[in-house]
Amino acid sequence: MVMLVRWAVTSTDMSLKVCSIDDLRPGEGLRIDSINPPIAVFLTEDGEVYAIDDTCTHQDASLSAGWVEDCRVECPLHESTFSLVTGQVDQPPAKKGVRTHQVHVSGGAVYVELSTAAPNLPPGVIVA
Amino acid sequence: MIIDHLEEPLPGSSLRPTPAGSAYTDPAIFAAEQADIFEQLWNCVLRADSISTAGDWKKVTVGREELIIVRTRRAGIRAFYNVCQHRGMRVCTGDEGRARKLQCGYHAWTYALEGELVAAPNLTAMPDVDRREYGLKPVHLREWLGYVWVCLAAQPPDFDTEVLGEVRTRFGEVESIDNYGIEHLLLGETKTYDVAANWKLIIENFMECYHCATIHPELTEVIPEFADGLASQRKNGEVHGSSFGEDIQGFTVDGSAGVAALPAIAPDQDRKYYAITVKPQVFINTVPDHVIVHRMFPVSQSRTIVVCDWLFLPEVIHQSLPIEKSVELFHRVNQQDFEACELTQPSMSSAAYAGGGALVPSEHHIEEFHTWWRERLRGESRVAA
Repeated sequence: MVMLVRWAVTSTDMSLKVCSIDDLRPGEGLRIDSINPPIAVFLTEDGEVYAIDDTCTHQDASLSAGWVEDCRVECPLHESTFSLVTGQVDQPPAKKGVRTHQVHVSGGAVYVELSTAAPNLPPGVIVA
Repeated sequence: MIIDHLEEPLPGSSLRPTPAGSAYTDPAIFAAEQADIFEQLWNCVLRADSISTAGDWKKVTVGREELIIVRTRRAGIRAFYNVCQHRGMRVCTGDEGRARKLQCGYHAWTYALEGELVAAPNLTAMPDVDRREYGLKPVHLREWLGYVWVCLAAQPPDFDTEVLGEVRTRFGEVESIDNYGIEHLLLGETKTYDVAANWKLIIENFMECYHCATIHPELTEVIPEFADGLASQRKNGEVHGSSFGEDIQGFTVDGSAGVAALPAIAPDQDRKYYAITVKPQVFINTVPDHVIVHRMFPVSQSRTIVVCDWLFLPEVIHQSLPIEKSVELFHRVNQQDFEACELTQPSMSSAAYAGGGALVPSEHHIEEFHTWWRERLRGESRVAA
């Protein structure tokens, strides 16, 4: 379980420390379920860190378990892939994209500034 | 009932008995062999370089079980039962593929290439489900000689002593099998033979050369000493280097020169042919410039799939040097052997063979295989041999 700590990065931004950069493996995602709805943090093979909503918009599945390639993650259950940069979906069965969250890496820690948009959650999944 | 065999033939008795014909036809005996031999011992299933990229998988059958052999992203090659841990459907369909995940097509239970359960519809709402416990069931795996070897037993026999050690001991230190550098060779040709014969007939055939002068004219031309009926495999598992004929330049269908010799073979291994059986389902043949590996996959008491690979130095393959005449020699030997086995199989259920047949002195070492076979079938009362 990753501890959620509120952390002021600048005087104006309120960011959340979600994990250490060492918790991430290139080409894989990490589900942060202390945030609701959970988010997924990805470290690409190129060393970039991205954060998106973890739940596929089609059916309840964790995108952190998906295959990462070319800055997109493929939902582990079906064939839709989501851009790690924009959250946009490329093909059915998912029809809506996921939210993206701003990421800052500082001092070996990964900070996320959560989107304020409404999440696109699949049937049966609600924000607690 | 097991017929007790005499340690030494009676004076004047050149012939020793084989198992009864039913040993080659009885489905109950075949089932016991699957359970007590093929599902207990190490089986050589495929070439490691045939699944070269992460996500490459192939299906193989060992005993009565269907397995997935997959190259993972970070954990090398893994083997799993092809059984979804949710409701049991086959996870992989088809014979091979390349995948980012191993996903059951029924309810979309989804496994990482490394086997653990990573996704399923609503799995995030079931945090108590252990991803490893409900991952694909793994199978023991080793890589050796460039091949993937698997064992279904919960406690597999020690690979280093049972497989590696036995093969190395038989070849002897000087004539080490390691000299051939088999793990660095590449596949030049592979052929699959669907043989309508019991697997034991194929092993017995491979162990002796009493038949060589009769059914293998090309092989006996290259290795004239085979006309004496003695095979490379001898008593007590000893391996004898069988010499090429004087005018023979290489192990080819017409005795013409082969390709460049493997660099590290010992002087004793030059111009010689060695053969060994790695029980229960592998034959390895070595000659100075290539290695031939047979893998057997018994399908039923009367059907066996045999895959034969011809392996050469990488530069031979990369430069597309001519290997056709090398391949053709043992391809013919295979065809000749398997035709003989297929013409033997129907007689195994004949009244005229109910008591079994005979082994001549140059075949007596096949008894060592029969003894091993009887001892492996733990429920001896099952076998009326």
